[in-house]
Amino acid sequence: MISMNKVSKNYGSFQVLADCTTEVHKGEVIVVCGPSGSGKSTLIKCVNGLEPFQSGEIVVNGVSVGDPKTNLSKLRSTVGMVFQNFELFPHMSIIDNLAIAQIKVLGRSQDQAREKGSKLLERVGLAVQAEKYPGQLSGGQQQRVAIARALAMDPICMLFDEPTSALDPEMVNEVLDVMTELAQEGMTMMCVTHEMGFAKRVASRVIFMDQGRIVEDDSKDAFFEHPRSERAQQFLAKILHH
Amino acid sequence: MGYNWNWGVFLQPTSTGDDTYLGWMFYGFKVTIALSLSAWLIALALGAVVGVLRTVPNKWLSGFATAYVELFRNIPLLVQLFLWYFVMPELLPERMGDAFKQSNPFMQQFLASMVCLALFTSARVAEQVRSGINSLPPGQKNAGLAMGFTLAQTYRYVMLPMAVRLIVPPLTSEFLNIFKNSAVCSTIGLLELAAQGRQLVDYTAQPYESFIAVTLAYLVINIVVMFGMRWVEEHVRVPGYLGGK
Ligand SMILES: Nc1ncnc2c1ncn2[C@@H]1O[C@H](COP(=O)(O)OP(=O)(O)OP(=O)(O)O)[C@@H](O)[C@H]1O
Ligand SMILES: [Mg+2]
Repeated sequence: MISMNKVSKNYGSFQVLADCTTEVHKGEVIVVCGPSGSGKSTLIKCVNGLEPFQSGEIVVNGVSVGDPKTNLSKLRSTVGMVFQNFELFPHMSIIDNLAIAQIKVLGRSQDQAREKGSKLLERVGLAVQAEKYPGQLSGGQQQRVAIARALAMDPICMLFDEPTSALDPEMVNEVLDVMTELAQEGMTMMCVTHEMGFAKRVASRVIFMDQGRIVEDDSKDAFFEHPRSERAQQFLAKILHH
Repeated sequence: MGYNWNWGVFLQPTSTGDDTYLGWMFYGFKVTIALSLSAWLIALALGAVVGVLRTVPNKWLSGFATAYVELFRNIPLLVQLFLWYFVMPELLPERMGDAFKQSNPFMQQFLASMVCLALFTSARVAEQVRSGINSLPPGQKNAGLAMGFTLAQTYRYVMLPMAVRLIVPPLTSEFLNIFKNSAVCSTIGLLELAAQGRQLVDYTAQPYESFIAVTLAYLVINIVVMFGMRWVEEHVRVPGYLGGK
């Protein structure tokens, strides 16, 4: 579904991504982790073309992201993305947040879009908040709305960039629960996260990045039981200690 | 002080006989309002476009917009007015230039003033629009694009609605400025509020009454604009955002 081949990106002389190669198959859940600044966000933003890259190739569902002829907007409408800071549209009610792109991008009618939106809100347990505004919701609620908003586009896969790291600890689980459910339903997902409990529960594979390189790309059992690189061992020791 | 107050002067017929002095003032008031409002509407539209262009990821477009802003913001308003009124008609294609010069003098003065104020103010509006867009959380643009919006749609549905809300207060002061700046247009002979005030002094030798009346008229405009813009601000306030509830 997503394949990356030797993707490299640099800002001037600084290499953010170096020869990143990996493959995400339909229904897989890939957890991407690594120290701060290792290029995780950049990597997943390359998948839907939010970040350009200088060399290599990324193909999503048969479409080459780096090809200048590719209609990126169309591609992005099929790839859901959830951000660290939720990024709901603050001037729209929750239900409008879910409906707007369905209407303007997919051409659905107002009624269809709202109905779909309501169903998804119900699914993330927020049906009663439909008419509120993002600023009136807690962080955890906003992130669940953001997930519902992405799902409203019927995406073929979902990208998550540290979806729980801006949340108060007591709200982390409500978001992880939604993500776990999604994973168990067979959604193809690529998640940047340091929630190792989530990774152990649902990941098919874990990618570990360091200094722009994919250092490990292994099944979760192999990764957690015998990480090969020293950097990954140190990283796990630090993070699992918490 | 041996000044002879005479508020009754406003009700006296003018020396030309066809109106009262109050009528003259009211005429100037209407010209000021018509000029400022029409220039303001053009300035908002142009300023929004130029402000957006300053933020787009295309160096030709943003370079053009930067040049536009610098040009109209840095040449003194009075000089711009003279350029529009005296120089521009000569630079137009001959037919258009002649048509302009043959139209009635009021139209010439009004059009030159309107274009001048509109462009001058649009550069300032553009700066506000740009700063509004730049003060949005950086992730908003990516969030719009990630939903499948084109860049234009992302501006239209995601960035501009919030940016505009953020800049209502500075826009209020630009709106007030355009009324004050319109007084400059009396220098090319446009009979707006300030010019009528001066004319009244020439004809009646009652400067205090005249300038007090002019001041009050500007004050009324200020108050109406401030209340109007405050109403707008309340009206577009986003629940739960920036302390709004
Ligand atoms: N516009 C830019 N110009 C220069 N360097 C940049 C730019 N954007 C990101 N970087 C650098 O690229 C590197 C990778 O950034 P990225 O955000 O992908 O890291 P990350 O792994 O997601 O880190 P974090 O865990 O902090 O989110 C960082 O060292 C960052 O400083
Ligand atoms: Mg990151």
